[in-house]
Amino acid sequence: MQTRTSFRLLLISILLAGQVRGAEQRPNAEKAPQTDLATLLRIQTDVQKLLPQVRPALVAIQTGGGTASGVIISADGLLLTAAHVPGGPGKDMRVILEDGSVTTAKSLGLDTTTDAALAQLKKREKPWPFVKLSREVIKAQPGEWCFALGHPGGFDKSRGPVLRVGKIIKQTANSLHTDCVLMGGDSGGPLFNFAGEVIGIHSQIWENRDQNVHVSMTPFLRSWEAMQKSQVIKIWGVGAGGYLGVATVMSDDVELEVADVIEGSPAQKAGVRAGDVILSVNGDAMTDQQQFTATVRAKAAGDTLKIKLRSSGKERELAVKLAQKPQEEGQ
Amino acid sequence: MTNDEIRMTKKIPNPNDERLAASGTVVISSFELRHLFVIRKFVIRHSAVLFLSPFFALADTPRPTLPPEQRTNGWQTLSAVTQLKPLTLDCTARVESVLGRPICTATIVGADGYLLTKASEVPDLDKARVRFADGRTAALREVRREVRLDLVLAQAVGVTGLRAVSFGAAKPLTLGQWMCSTADAGKEPRIGIVSAQRRRIPGDGAALGIRMDEKTPKEVKGVRIIGIASESPAEVAGLQENDVLLTIAGEVVAQYRRVHEIVNKRQPGEIIEVRYLRKDKEESCRVRLASRTKVLQNWEGEDFANGGISLRSDSFPEVLQHDIPLLPADMGGPVATLEGKVVGINIARVDRVTTFALPVEAFWIEAQQWIKADRHPPKAVLVK
Repeated sequence: MQTRTSFRLLLISILLAGQVRGAEQRPNAEKAPQTDLATLLRIQTDVQKLLPQVRPALVAIQTGGGTASGVIISADGLLLTAAHVPGGPGKDMRVILEDGSVTTAKSLGLDTTTDAALAQLKKREKPWPFVKLSREVIKAQPGEWCFALGHPGGFDKSRGPVLRVGKIIKQTANSLHTDCVLMGGDSGGPLFNFAGEVIGIHSQIWENRDQNVHVSMTPFLRSWEAMQKSQVIKIWGVGAGGYLGVATVMSDDVELEVADVIEGSPAQKAGVRAGDVILSVNGDAMTDQQQFTATVRAKAAGDTLKIKLRSSGKERELAVKLAQKPQEEGQ
Repeated sequence: MTNDEIRMTKKIPNPNDERLAASGTVVISSFELRHLFVIRKFVIRHSAVLFLSPFFALADTPRPTLPPEQRTNGWQTLSAVTQLKPLTLDCTARVESVLGRPICTATIVGADGYLLTKASEVPDLDKARVRFADGRTAALREVRREVRLDLVLAQAVGVTGLRAVSFGAAKPLTLGQWMCSTADAGKEPRIGIVSAQRRRIPGDGAALGIRMDEKTPKEVKGVRIIGIASESPAEVAGLQENDVLLTIAGEVVAQYRRVHEIVNKRQPGEIIEVRYLRKDKEESCRVRLASRTKVLQNWEGEDFANGGISLRSDSFPEVLQHDIPLLPADMGGPVATLEGKVVGINIARVDRVTTFALPVEAFWIEAQQWIKADRHPPKAVLVK
């Protein structure tokens, strides 16, 4: 009980921070029209028209660890799911189709950083029912309506798949956040746009109802070939930008302090140590974490950063050459 | 360690097939969606997402976030259903304790004070009252309690001129159809959709939320508790590990099986007296039972349930499932179509994504007869 309570408090404090950020950046707050009944009814009509087309592509997945969801995206049985569902490449999974018929699939590659995974259904004569995935990730913007399918709590024949309709709250480099409420068992299930295309794969939740995180199509499209070759991608990074390999924390004196240095990273090789205070990068004074992240991400692999540090009262300057994000081969 | 509750607990930390096999009911043996545990609050791993919270993930490039008012249940979106207020919110009342604590929501079904609410939330209507939207309060007279439906028909004493809901058929509803309901004791609208197939929800009796010692030593007169489920009826009532159960609902218990039998045949929401031994001292407490499925599925607590789960969440002849974000205290309130036709009464908050409503066809014909019989009680016939 004790630990749980404190954990909740922690979540709440972070949540508040998030909401403050949200409040600062209201896109079209004044312009946003109030929704009318006709809009809701149009959404309803569209969802109900798309459902019969997309539902057959939803599957329930059972592994040794529990049950989850997935979605078929090609006639020859390629399956998208979340990386934490198979947990590794080459894993056999039991797959239940909408009508209750059972088949198997084997996991291919996965991207453990973004929670994206690819799997292959067992070959069959008849083409698999499938849906398309959206290649225009940029279109999934806050405020857009979307809908989610999945098997929360596992496959239940009498209940069938569970539908949720909601809005996109945010798009990040590799994910979408929506108010389509998810829970255990939904993992790996699809989030759709109103063209009936997959725009997300259910991945994570936070305590708040509006905190439902889906892997966007970005990591899938970026790592498609690698995942088809059953590779495991552990990218240290989101989006573009060179790789430095440090974690920072704001110290009690409100200074930017190195909390951790990743083993084998450019930062470690250049001599950055935990406890160092970061004073400046390329001559620009560093005052907070966001500014530092932005500065590092603005540089590409191969670029050199001049980082001025202070430890035990002594200042020093290091040159760190940013590297490629590390990737690891699969089995 | 043998009763079902025991078998269940062993499985909880690591949901697996064994858990399914053992319980024999609809048990969630699902992957937890990955919960993000933020280890150090203000740590950002540059070029690493390992411990990034969704909010810090955007530290570099500020990204637009949809403000709360524009979300699916934000006020700007909800403005679409404002015109339904006279048909939904105005036909709703709050059932509260005599001290004013909200208990559940009631659907007004007769202008002369008849209302329906969730029975298991109000075992004793004498200790509750109803508060209407206009601020009036009234005592409640129980007319009919139907355990099968988990509904209670009551009349607000001395109240007239209420606005009753207008029922429409729930049968034609299809997956994806918008529904609207009331939250915050009938003060605010909420929307959602029909999210799954209409169906029967089987039940599995009531539970305390305890693990019992199968081999309580002979010299101990009673059954020793060896585990308590988080947020369970037992925990709420203050029972602890190593307490020795002596009597349950007045009956002496010497064997864990007997405890299970007594509890399991009761209804969720029912209150039973438990006498127990703690550190050689005899004590007693009143335990409010919950659905067995609810207890088993939430052994470690109702994480991410967002406001809790109804004590009775199963054993319904038929339910509509929807995704309207509601709380247990919102149960008993009406659920309507966007035309303002009430098609059901919210009957159980089940988990983060699920609310059950009793469809109108499951109760309204019967309920009308109860009202009729109550308005016109049969006259005494003189037998010659």
